[in-house]
Amino acid sequence: MAIFIILLFIFLIQDFLQVLVMGISLVPDLFLLCIIMLVLVRGGRKDKQTTLIWISFIGGLIWDLRWTNLPGLTSGFNGAVVAAAICLWYKAPVQGRTTPLFAVFAFVTQILSGMVHFVFWNVSTLAAMRQFAVQQILSLPALVILCYIFWKVSERNA
Amino acid sequence: MALWDKDRKTWLHGIIALLLGFIVLWISLSMPGLHHRLVDGVNGVLYFWEKPAMELRSIISLSSNWVLERASLHERVEQLELKNQALREALQLASVVSQEPRMSYVNALVTLRYAGDWWTEIRVDKGSAHGIELGAAVTSDGCLVGRVTRVGDNYAWIELITSSTFLIAAAVDETRDLGIVNGDGRGNLRLLYIPESGRVKRGMSISTSLMSDLIPPGVPIGTVLAEEEPREGFFPLRIQAGAHLTQLYSVQIFVGRKK
Repeated sequence: MAIFIILLFIFLIQDFLQVLVMGISLVPDLFLLCIIMLVLVRGGRKDKQTTLIWISFIGGLIWDLRWTNLPGLTSGFNGAVVAAAICLWYKAPVQGRTTPLFAVFAFVTQILSGMVHFVFWNVSTLAAMRQFAVQQILSLPALVILCYIFWKVSERNA
Repeated sequence: MALWDKDRKTWLHGIIALLLGFIVLWISLSMPGLHHRLVDGVNGVLYFWEKPAMELRSIISLSSNWVLERASLHERVEQLELKNQALREALQLASVVSQEPRMSYVNALVTLRYAGDWWTEIRVDKGSAHGIELGAAVTSDGCLVGRVTRVGDNYAWIELITSSTFLIAAAVDETRDLGIVNGDGRGNLRLLYIPESGRVKRGMSISTSLMSDLIPPGVPIGTVLAEEEPREGFFPLRIQAGAHLTQLYSVQIFVGRKK
């Protein structure tokens, strides 16, 4: 329940930020990045991970209905990318599941998330490319913070 | 294969989520009515949470525009005052008492502009509860930017002049040539059905022609940029929109005339 409330709060923060930068850029997908962090840092039970896959799906659907005009695009992508992240993460040896690897996962997730929306915009104008670039730059502070949290929690759980 | 066997359940959930996403996408594309209802529902739920952000954005935008536009507005006000004075004097000479109906507009904040439909439509935070009607003209900085196409109690969707399905009667102010303004969905505007080449020059202004009670005549649309190759005996004109269509934060929606 606590995780659900935290994710709801992060979703609302992302929505609030999107209103502020509407027309300038898309905000980084903080909601998805947090879910990626939660499924990887917890390393817990499989049922928790599958619940998070579906939470990411529902969050993506609401995001689509509010911002992308393509309901199903973000939701399907979110579900698939969270599942892929879990599988690939646990494919890596235990010693290799470190903060730098998490940073790579989070960075690739953010790039893919931006690219999916960019590809589905039916106008490939300079404005759209600028929005994509700004989104990636804005995601850097969020990635640094998430990596820091991941590192701290991993240290505590070690 | 080992990867699949070990994490079969997780993979399965991911694949199901992806397929479900495509199914939802297909349903929403094939049932636009349901799609619009869901979009408006979600927008309605998030409206109160987003309101402070919209106000904040509007304040920031107004402050920055105020600084930039102050000088040019000063100049414009002076010109208009002189023109107004001249008109008053002319009316006094003719002994005509004029009482023009005052146009009434409602200010609305832009709450949504899809990246994929950037030049097609926007959503605003005012609706029928504020007197907005279907088909009403929408302006920004005094220039036409679109027309209301869907209205709810507290929201309205506006088709932008740059939309490829947007058609509106317009006149060249200097020559009174009539035509139809049409967008192309990519940010460009054209005035169609101009019969004679060379008559309309670059820089001439274009404004709305009398169309309906909700689109008043004389609302500026833009200025002529260039003449294009003739099509079917007519000479389309490329137009520069008068409003800043890439920076639409708030708009004014025409709600009728008041005496």
